[in-house]
Amino acid sequence: MNNIISVDSLTDIISNSVGILIIFAVISLINDNNKSYQLEIPIEHQSDLSPVFIIAKDDALLRLDTDKLFANAAMQATEGAAANKRTFPLGYGQLLGQIDDEKGIVFHARDIEDSKEWHHFNTLEKADSELKKQLNTIDPKRQFAYFFVYDEVGDSNISGSGFEAFRKAREYLKSRGVKSGWKPVDTDNPAHICDMSFSPLCKYLPSYLGSS
Amino acid sequence: MASRASRRARYLPENKLEISLFPFLSIFLSVMGVLSFINILSSIHSPQKIKMTTELEAGYKVAFQMFSLPDGIIIVPPVSRLKKLQENVADEEVRNKLTQIIAQRESFINNVKAYKGPLDDFAVEPKVDDIVNLLKEIRFINEEALKHNFLYEEFILFGIYPEGGEAYRKVRDVMARSSDAASISIGLEPLDANWTLNIDGTPTVDKTQREAQ
Repeated sequence: MNNIISVDSLTDIISNSVGILIIFAVISLINDNNKSYQLEIPIEHQSDLSPVFIIAKDDALLRLDTDKLFANAAMQATEGAAANKRTFPLGYGQLLGQIDDEKGIVFHARDIEDSKEWHHFNTLEKADSELKKQLNTIDPKRQFAYFFVYDEVGDSNISGSGFEAFRKAREYLKSRGVKSGWKPVDTDNPAHICDMSFSPLCKYLPSYLGSS
Repeated sequence: MASRASRRARYLPENKLEISLFPFLSIFLSVMGVLSFINILSSIHSPQKIKMTTELEAGYKVAFQMFSLPDGIIIVPPVSRLKKLQENVADEEVRNKLTQIIAQRESFINNVKAYKGPLDDFAVEPKVDDIVNLLKEIRFINEEALKHNFLYEEFILFGIYPEGGEAYRKVRDVMARSSDAASISIGLEPLDANWTLNIDGTPTVDKTQREAQ
């Protein structure tokens, strides 16, 4: 019994560690309770800038090439494929188009995983990503970004499937001085582009200020 | 000198009491492990809290907040600066109307605060008549503030939770067709499901509560 190893120093270290951990736990608890995130208050405003449309879904973004889409839709309409609100392939980003009297051209985004036109928002961190190149083409003096953001809860997250992608893209655009606006969409009420003459709901306004 | 040694020897026990420290060590280590685990868990899963106060301002613009949830909307109207506007109004009729609006709003906020259940349950489906009346009320307040040269303008700020787009669209649909809404500014912001809504100590909406429903 006289040769028993003294564990005093070990006990000392362990009890100190426990004490520090308890302090950390208390501090983090206090911090969590008091933590508040100041949101920048976005207010929609009239603008002479023209919108560049982007769809945010399943953490991915698709910049709508409206020239291409409208040309394809017009071709499909002349061939009769768009009659009676039928959906037709637009040949871009796996989108299906639909002509609606009130909503204009409706864009149904389905099975986007295999599409090369959709880009994950993480690619914004890469210097030469395609998404970054596309967003860089938006001219802050002439254009603003308008997002159609899917608010449906995805399989892998608890938030709207397009929320995070939208926030990241908006932050990036803000750093470039590009204004942005958005609206929530879902499978039953997908993105649509129309003219004010169709409906007063066909308004696309920027609500977020771009930094100068 | 001899007396000190003999005294020491007298008081020392024959057999030194040996206490095993193993149980203490075991408890310490267990506590440390549990605390580390709780720390890691809380840092990963603790919901971000966004303090949505009843008074959210951008300059002289004051937010009339509407939180859009899957089951409907929760409105959080501003009150404190409205009281200042009321104090600046000389016309008794307008003053009385503002008093009435303030009382209604305070009563509504108190009801929200007093509600003990999940805040999701407090969301109500927006009715066209209610939205129209709200828009009329906001327009009246903004016009009176302008008439009295008081820097105050209410705007509607939508906080949109996941799958809350339906209620939002319904409100915007009414607004698009209402002349009262033409002069009212609008803002909207997406809110994550685990972002809690704190209205000065009111119940919170968080992921656990949502899942429990």
